Amino acid sequence: MFKKILLATSGAPSTFGAARVAFDMARRYGAEVLVLNVMGVPTKAFSHIVNDVRTGEEIEVDDEYRAWVEEELKTTFEKQFEIVEYSQIKLTTGVPSREILRCARDEDADLIVMGASSGDSSVYRKGYPGSTLQKVAKAARCPVMTVHRETASYWGGFSNILFATDFSKQAENAFRFALKSAQEIGCDLTLLHALDISGKVLDQNEIEDQIIAARDRIRTTYVPLMGDFKDYDIEVWEGVPFVEIVKMAREKSADMIVMAHHSRELNPEKARIGSTMEQVILRAGCPVVSVSKPDKV
Amino acid sequence: MSKKILIVDDDQEIRSYLSELLGDNGYETVTAEDGSEAVEIAKAEKPDLITLDLEMPNEWGPRFYRRISQDDALKRTPVVVISGLNAIKYAIPKAIATLTKPFEAAQLLKIVKDAIG
Repeated sequence: MFKKILLATSGAPSTFGAARVAFDMARRYGAEVLVLNVMGVPTKAFSHIVNDVRTGEEIEVDDEYRAWVEEELKTTFEKQFEIVEYSQIKLTTGVPSREILRCARDEDADLIVMGASSGDSSVYRKGYPGSTLQKVAKAARCPVMTVHRETASYWGGFSNILFATDFSKQAENAFRFALKSAQEIGCDLTLLHALDISGKVLDQNEIEDQIIAARDRIRTTYVPLMGDFKDYDIEVWEGVPFVEIVKMAREKSADMIVMAHHSRELNPEKARIGSTMEQVILRAGCPVVSVSKPDKV
Repeated sequence: MSKKILIVDDDQEIRSYLSELLGDNGYETVTAEDGSEAVEIAKAEKPDLITLDLEMPNEWGPRFYRRISQDDALKRTPVVVISGLNAIKYAIPKAIATLTKPFEAAQLLKIVKDAIG
């Protein structure tokens, strides 16, 4: 199911985890890795002078500079290139989010893998994923995998996928991707609903009634869609949703968390990445996949 | 009867070094070069403690840990993570200790002694 994996990287250390996961997946599933580097944003339309994505410096992109960037990428990811059979480096200039989406569309990528931000460690960036990820995750036709923390890149094949649902319409696409992945890879699937009781003082009976109701809802909503697939668990944990999702992933040693890109906004063109998803991306100890559109699931 | 330690590391030199170090201090050792092999050996040998590398070619340390933590006979076996990677303390939160390569022999021996005697 992963034939072509697009790794979007600036070459910065913040993307090393994403690279590690992308190449390892490619090795395991015989996929091709396309390493895309957007060298800079043109200072004027079609200009050869660009502002470097990482440093902001003005650079003239000529053949010599392209060759240098390609060599840098080959050196940076030298060990990873050695483990895969099929790979290619793609260099371009432009607005990073647009170029990533364009490349994914032109190449018909099955999965985009990227870091959560370009590495800015300011308080702002620590609390929110970067704008490139926001834009790519919203508009991509294929699922977008984010590897933010270094510990999220300790990866050795999928043995348990955690699908977190809030029962929204948008979660259906994410479920289809999670199920298809679990079926084709042959791993376990955990279906989780995190019951949001943050900021509420509820009677314990009421909480437990809601837990029972949520378990029933998972059974009636998703189990009939699973056919013969039996390697699943149903879990409902109450608390703050992003905390419970991260905790469950840790408890179950999940290799991948799958969630809908957003849940409340029905128009995908208007929706920004959901706040729960945002926090899960930044905190999870495994890669997080955001599914926005049904095209590639 | 001496305590048995399973050493899981893809680096032959590290395996030999740890085998010698722990062997000289009265422990019996068995070794595995990746997570898949280590699961089979762990099931057969029932070690008292496992030293675990994180980055290995066929199966990473955390995958191995997940597999043994599902096995009733192995899930309480203490694990010491030994790796050159950064942020290793987050990789297996239930490990009893984490050591970053290069490490002091005395440090490892103290951890092992405290855990299994």
